[in-house]
Order: sequence, then structure tokens, then C-alpha cells
Amino acid sequence: MADTILSVQNLTKVYDGKKAVAGISFEVKRGEIFGILGPNGAGKTTTLEMIETLREIDGGTATIDGVDVAKHPYEIRGMIGVQPQTPGFQDKTKLTELIQLFAASYGTKVDPKKFLEEMNLGDKANSYIESLSGGQKQRFSIVTALVHDPKVFFLDEPTTGLDPQARRNLWDLIKEVRDRGISVILTTHYMDEAEILCDRIAIMDAGKIVKLDTPKNLIQQLLDSGFHKDQKVEQANLEDVFIDLTGKGLRN
Amino acid sequence: MTMQQKFRTIWVFFVINFKRLFRDKTALFFTFAFPLIFLLVFGFANRNSGTTFHVGLLNRSSTAIAQQTADSIKHGKVLKVDKSITNMSLAQQKMKRGQLDATIVLPENFGMTMHGIPSGQAQVIYTQNGAQAGGAVQSILQAQFSKINATFVTAKTPFVAKGVQTNEKSLSSFDYAFAGVLGFTILGSGIFGPINIFPELKKQGILRRLHTTPLRVWQYFLSIMLGNAVIGLLSLGLMYLVALKLFNLHIAGNILELIVFLVFSLLLILGIGLAIGGWAKNERQAAPLANIVVFPMMFLSGTFFPRFGFPEWLQHVTNFFPLTPVIDGARLITTEGFHLTQMGSQLGIMGAWLVVVYIIAFRVFRWE
Repeated sequence: MADTILSVQNLTKVYDGKKAVAGISFEVKRGEIFGILGPNGAGKTTTLEMIETLREIDGGTATIDGVDVAKHPYEIRGMIGVQPQTPGFQDKTKLTELIQLFAASYGTKVDPKKFLEEMNLGDKANSYIESLSGGQKQRFSIVTALVHDPKVFFLDEPTTGLDPQARRNLWDLIKEVRDRGISVILTTHYMDEAEILCDRIAIMDAGKIVKLDTPKNLIQQLLDSGFHKDQKVEQANLEDVFIDLTGKGLRN
Repeated sequence: MTMQQKFRTIWVFFVINFKRLFRDKTALFFTFAFPLIFLLVFGFANRNSGTTFHVGLLNRSSTAIAQQTADSIKHGKVLKVDKSITNMSLAQQKMKRGQLDATIVLPENFGMTMHGIPSGQAQVIYTQNGAQAGGAVQSILQAQFSKINATFVTAKTPFVAKGVQTNEKSLSSFDYAFAGVLGFTILGSGIFGPINIFPELKKQGILRRLHTTPLRVWQYFLSIMLGNAVIGLLSLGLMYLVALKLFNLHIAGNILELIVFLVFSLLLILGIGLAIGGWAKNERQAAPLANIVVFPMMFLSGTFFPRFGFPEWLQHVTNFFPLTPVIDGARLITTEGFHLTQMGSQLGIMGAWLVVVYIIAFRVFRWE
């Protein structure tokens, strides 16, 4: 299928005889933001790490743009970008140099100044990484995973521990990545994040996908089954108050 | 990725990390200044000065000959006369403390004329522990006297022992100390560097991030090896310069062969650091293992103590430590002018270790 970028079939990971990921299957379409939701220990991170080639696949297959993950890990690594939970970079190194390092790691070459300008970090090009604020670092980290024009971009719980300002900023960034035509796969356990950001979501529990659909459909299905919550029509919530009081500007 | 691209990646890593070193004051200190401090300390403690004996001189005679003899002892090169010694009890005190090797006494009748020619008996006094030095001082004095004797008595001496100095310089204690300090520097850059840096890179997730790229372990290793070889050579080169200027080091061997040997040494020891640092998940794993590996080499491979003083069996065992042929080899090329072709046993041991160490390093390397 031409519009499928990632195809996962029966993917399994076994730890100490227990299935951490118990034969899950799903597909991610080109250019969508796909969320994997679930409580801690549901197998989200393990699933992601198997697709990212960081963990061995014990059963089933995963293919990205037709390339088998288990058979061609190095080719896969050249096709994906990965944003770690806590981005770390070696200090006393300029942004331009870090861009060069990552481009070299992916076996490509970029004009680091031009690339940073494109990513709205041009004015920081000659600064050392440690002079960046938390939000700028977050942005830079995503930028480093785009030097090689990846087809799929992975984020593992990207907003855990961030304040509301940084969270919103990151959501905008993730949408920017999607708008470049890159498919985004992220894990989260924040429902508001999934609802705002994701085109489709898979809800995982105990190593299995319980449900997979668009956020709207999932909510509709629940309502159709007769579920109803005490209705209180609020035009704003506490987070809106917080943002109103403290502004949208990024903090360090 | 083509092979050319893969090597370009290594080059980019090397260049950027090389530039980074010169922005890191702590790293600069440990790379360049720290080894120099060691060199200065060991260098001044083991300066090339030849053998001298410290003696006290008590001249109790008033004859002209006694005065002449005392003067010639004072101006000799081998015997250094401690001028503060004015009486026997002072001399004995200093000898007890080991500050004097012996005391020469010219008695009151020294140089008085008997049977037509002047004569006398000088006494060399030394403590039980100073017997060796005392004996040597006595022989030196005897040699001086036989020259004087010859001017009074022309006697045939059928048997004589004549010393012939060869043109070759023997090894001074500085030569051993210098090779030891070189070895210590190679140990520092090759092992202490990686075991400190890798756990930190892992803690910050920097290696994990690299692991998500197509970068291969061998590429990463090669970039580190290249950096370590270049920076190590700069550091060792600086030490050679200081030793040449300050401690009269004379490089007898071929410079190019010396460089090749030093690069080989740096890479061999770096392999040990890569294996430990690459394997360890954190500092708590790296530090104890590094100590187990480093300490025996530090004390038994000839860094601080020359190995020729060890019991024979220990010399045999320590021959096979990775650092021993490094230190021996550096000394053989530097001061004894050996060629690499004459150093089969050193290069053989080092080559075997190189293979073993890098196989282990590749196998146990972890990105996180």
C-alpha cells in the first residue's frame, strides 16, 4: 500500500517468559501523527524501541517503507529520526558542529548554518549547546533528527516533565515536522495531548492494542454505547487560566 | 553509504572533537600539563649527574703534603666534600643519618718525612651500612695516592689493572625515569580518558542518541583512535621537547620509528580503556575494573620503579603486561637507538594484546 509508511505485524517481545509486547499489529499512514497511548508498563516504549532497531524483535515483523526492520537495521536507522526523552549533547560544542556530527552520523552532509536558519535557530548557530534554554534545546534536539530527511519520526513521551508552555511549544514543533511530510509516531499518557495532536491513536494495555481509531471516533463510539458524563459546559479549564496568567512564552 | 562516506564520518567526528578539546580547560590540563609536571618531578629527582660520594674531610696534619692532598680531594669530581664537617662527632652524626657516605681523616703525622721520603696513612671511616660506599671512597683515595707515590718512588709494578672507558653511554637513571613517565602518560590518556568520558556520555544519553543513527561502532572507535593518537603524540612530543631541553635527553633512535612505535603504544592502551569504558554502564562499574587493570601495570611495568630490581620470576611475569613492552620499547628506541626490526619480542607481545583487547572492546561495547 503506497500510503502506508509503517507496517507492524504480530510484533512480539518476551522478557523472562512474559510477553511485554504480545503480537500487536498496526499500520501508520504517510504524513499522519500516530499516538500510542497506555498506562506505564503497557509496552509502548518497548514497541517503539523494537521499531527503532534498538531492541531485538522476538516475533513478528515491522517494515518501514517496505524495508524490514530486523533484516536491515542500518538502512532503517537512515530512514528514521528519534527524539529521546531527555535530549543530551556533548558540551563545549557549537550548534553548527553538532549538526555536522549528526549529518555525518547519518552519512549525509548539510550546510549547518542554512539548516539552522531554516529551523529558526540561525541566531544561535555559533553558540555552544549549553547556552540554550530548555525550550531551545528541545527544538534543537528535534532539528538534529531531521538533518537526513527521515521518513518517520519517533518521540517517546516527549512532554513528560515539561511545563505547559514548553508542552504547547513542542506540540507546534511536532506539527511542523508532520507538515514537512514526515510521519510522526509518539507515545504519551496525556489524553489531552493525544486528542490535540494525533490523527489516530492506538490504546495499549498489557502488551496488546485494545483499540485503534481516530480520537473523534473513539469518543463517538463510547458515547454511542450509552456512556455519558455529568455535563458541565465549561468554556475554559484550569490550564487555560494558567496560560492566561503566565503567557505562552517559553521558560528556561 | 559508500566507504568514502563512512570514512568522511570518522573524519568529521575527529575534527570536531579535536577542536572541542582546546575549549575544555580540565581536559587540556590532564592531557598536556599533568604529564609535564610528572616529567619535571621525576626528571629533577633523577638528573643525569654521574656517581658522587659525599664525604667529610678532617685534616689534622699541618704538613704541606697533607694540605695538597686535602686540596686535591676537595677539587675532585667524584668526592663531594661537606665543608660543614669540622670534627669527628659531627661527622659521625651525619654518617648515621646517611647524609655522608664516609669521612676521610688525615692524621697528625700525615706527610711527615721518614726514611727520607714523606709518608702517611689516611683513614676512611664509614658506618656498617655504608661499607660499599666506604670501600669505593677508599679505592678512589688509593688511586690518588698511587699517583703521588709514583713521584717519590719509581717502582716497577708488574701487575696493573687499567680501566678503559667505552664510547657508549650507559643508561642513566633519567633514561629509565623518562620512559616510565612516558608510559604513565600513555596509560593516562588511553585508560583514564575513556573510563571517565564513556559513563558520562551514557548517562546523558548521548551515545544512545548516536545509536539511533546508522553510525557503526567501528566508525566511532576509529574516530576516537585517531583523536587519541594525534593528541597523545602532541602530548608525548611536548614531553620529549622538555626532556631534550632540560634533562639532556639524547634521542639515539630514528624519529619516524619512534613515532610509529608511540602511536602503536597509544592505540594498544586505548583499546583497554575502550573495552572498560565501552562496557561499563556507569562510573561505579568502570572505576573498580579500571583500578584492577591499571594498578598492576602502574607499579610493575616500570613506570615508577625500574623492573631490573624485581625478583626474576616477577620480571618474567611482568614481561607480558601490555605496558611493559611499551615502556621498554620507548626506552630502547629513544636511548639505545634500537630499530623496530630488532624489537620482535616487544612488538609481538604488543600485537597480541592489541588483537585481544580490541576484540573484547568490540564485543562488550554498549551504547547505553
